[in-house]
Amino acid sequence: MSKQEMRKRLASLSFSEKIQILEKLRDRSLAFAATGPRKKTTAGGRKKADKGSKE
Amino acid sequence: MAHNDGKDAPVRVTLETINQMQADGVIGKYAIGGAVGATLYLEPAATLDVDIFVTLPAAPDSLLLSLEPIYDYLKARGGTVKDEHIVIGGWPVQFLPPSNDLEREAVTESVATDVEGVTTWVMSAEHLVAIALRTGRSKDHIRILQFIEQKAVDRDELQSILERHGLSSKWLQFESKYLAGTHE
Repeated sequence: MSKQEMRKRLASLSFSEKIQILEKLRDRSLAFAATGPRKKTTAGGRKKADKGSKE
Repeated sequence: MAHNDGKDAPVRVTLETINQMQADGVIGKYAIGGAVGATLYLEPAATLDVDIFVTLPAAPDSLLLSLEPIYDYLKARGGTVKDEHIVIGGWPVQFLPPSNDLEREAVTESVATDVEGVTTWVMSAEHLVAIALRTGRSKDHIRILQFIEQKAVDRDELQSILERHGLSSKWLQFESKYLAGTHE
């Protein structure tokens, strides 16, 4: 499924379903915020993180 | 109000509390705006709070609108104040009295919808776009583009709102900067 198709599919969900996703996104954001930035990263880890952040 | 530690608390609890506050006469009509409001029309995007635009019953002895009755009501039911938000059912909520005619109209013409069986009101897509245009931060511009790209706005209705609230020239600037050559 293309990114555009995925966005359309998500947009077509009911408001209740979207709110449930919002809640999960929020929990994840809070969990990231709670752990704070990583101080040390291995070269391999950095490479993986960079790859993961790509759109 | 349901009490919890803020984790895994559904927005439904937050909305039930706000509806009860409305039924108790603390607030008048309200409408969800911001990122949560936009979620009715677009794909969900991460956000940490809920923006509620709310009309307040005018105090008979004051011309100033105060959010104090809202805070008093919610604190008495377990709500906690955190910066400009009050945490209800685990979600930080920012109550915003409409500050101009556009926001007042957006509340009046909000759309009734349903979250897990709880009725609530969300601003129309066209009002969300007009308010985002007026606010004009980068994230507002991104949201407007999402509405346009996903054809989630009625362009005639949007034009009508923009004209009514003196935002036509701002829209032309936005169009020439972000939509030129996109056939949108």
